[in-house]
Amino acid sequence: MKAISVKNLTYSYDEHHIAIDDISFDIMQGSYVSIIGPNGSGKSTLAKLIDGLISSNKGEIKIFDTTLDRKNVNKLRQRIGIVFQNPDNQFISSTVEDDIAFGLENQNVDPALMKDIVLEYAKKVKMSDYLDKEPSNLSGGQKQRVAIAGVLALNRDIIIFDEATSMLDPKGREDIRNLIKQLRKSNPNLTMLSITHDIEEAYLSDYVIILNKGKIVKQGNHDEIFSNLDELKSLGFETPFFATIKEKLQKRGYDLKNINNIEELINKLCQLM
Amino acid sequence: MDSISFGRYVNYDSFIHRLDARNKILLLIALMIMIFMPFSTWSTSLIFSLLYFIILMILMGVSHCSFKSFFKGILSMWFLLLFLIIMFIFIPNPSLSSVPLYTFNESYTIYWDGIYQAAYIFLRLILMMSLTLILTSTTKPLDLTYALEWYMYPLNIINFPSHTIAMMISIALRFIPTILDEAKRIMKAQESRGVDFSRGGLFKKVKAIISLIIPLFVSAFDRSQQLSDAMEARGYDPNSKRSRYRKLKFHLKDLISALIILPIVAFIMYLSIAQNDLDIIYTLFKVEVGF
Repeated sequence: MKAISVKNLTYSYDEHHIAIDDISFDIMQGSYVSIIGPNGSGKSTLAKLIDGLISSNKGEIKIFDTTLDRKNVNKLRQRIGIVFQNPDNQFISSTVEDDIAFGLENQNVDPALMKDIVLEYAKKVKMSDYLDKEPSNLSGGQKQRVAIAGVLALNRDIIIFDEATSMLDPKGREDIRNLIKQLRKSNPNLTMLSITHDIEEAYLSDYVIILNKGKIVKQGNHDEIFSNLDELKSLGFETPFFATIKEKLQKRGYDLKNINNIEELINKLCQLM
Repeated sequence: MDSISFGRYVNYDSFIHRLDARNKILLLIALMIMIFMPFSTWSTSLIFSLLYFIILMILMGVSHCSFKSFFKGILSMWFLLLFLIIMFIFIPNPSLSSVPLYTFNESYTIYWDGIYQAAYIFLRLILMMSLTLILTSTTKPLDLTYALEWYMYPLNIINFPSHTIAMMISIALRFIPTILDEAKRIMKAQESRGVDFSRGGLFKKVKAIISLIIPLFVSAFDRSQQLSDAMEARGYDPNSKRSRYRKLKFHLKDLISALIILPIVAFIMYLSIAQNDLDIIYTLFKVEVGF
């Protein structure tokens, strides 16, 4: 089933600045899709369009086969959660537990159930020891984990990560990547859309859409995108560490066809040495 | 910028911390009324004010309020003290001219009444400050907001947006430290470009502050847009029904504290209204102090 279907979508902030230019793509339920592109390519605008925070000028967005419009935006938004770039600007309440509960309060969830839900999702993102902490006592990565817990607690079908790791240090990024991996394992029906600059994050996804100046310049599944690193470089992207090493070793004659991650690569190299 | 710690919540588990925020607001208002109840004799007014001061200092100690930030706050009011001294001591006022203290060249006299009036007003301001400090240092901003919303709730019948106002206060309180951090960052960035915030004349200082204010405003507006997107994305709608994660609870200790404080306030009000000319020093010690 298609979780998100975008057809001929166009959006412009003004007459001279077309942010999204006639793009179409489908995202299947349970998949993990990355949208990558340079600054100003329209990635974040696309996230806001999908979540109904802004309305398109032309084209159509379908969320689980229902066309998104002004009338049903609040209803459809209950299926989508979004984690924004700046961890500080999405921390609405004064403490971790209050912030996780914010969305639940908006959904009018029974207060008697909230405490357990908050604790469950705080545990999921490893923030259960920080429930009474204020945002000023947390690192960027911890605040971003709280934002993710807030979205997960709402039991959304789709989660959009809008450059959710771009303001984090390497440790914070690694934490969020591991959390995404863990979420994929624990909830196979959850659809995740990652809008990112981070090629390592995009490398984890099943499908990649490359945007430039509001247009899709390439889209394809993981292998289609990452099997041709020269093309990726020509589009102005860094290449993922693992894919680069694998390609270089393959060029030197090593058979690494069935090697899919760094651990398998290390094992293979140890066997060969 | 570091001095702006006055009134920040102090995470401690004191008796006052455990009181219901609504009760604390009620008692704060009652105590403020008590502080402002006047007596016609200066000695009585001052003795009562000093008594309140001692009690409030004890309460501040019990609730682990920061005395450092409190005294810093008082020091920052030096201009007000100066204004009071000029107003009540050096400007001749016929209503404050009964007991002379010192006469210059037989033409200009300073009166005890002026000194007492200035001291009394300043002392009352200090008392108000300490009361507010006790409230904000012992109450989480969110609980304070919920309590304010609870008090504003009856106004909903005239379509007063009590929830929206409470949410605005809550967000403002939440973002004070974030905006202060941002201001510090901008100041450091501007200092690294040669802006001097600490030295120079008035014109130079105004110019330096503009270099802080403009980026700070731009960033605050940007933040507010992102925050509103984040709130909307998490389903916030001020007009729809919301449940509440935290519930304020009125406990027995709230009742006891109210039953102790409110009668005292009522008694002081009675004394102030019915026995306004009470001279506490004469009543207790049979000594005439003369003012």
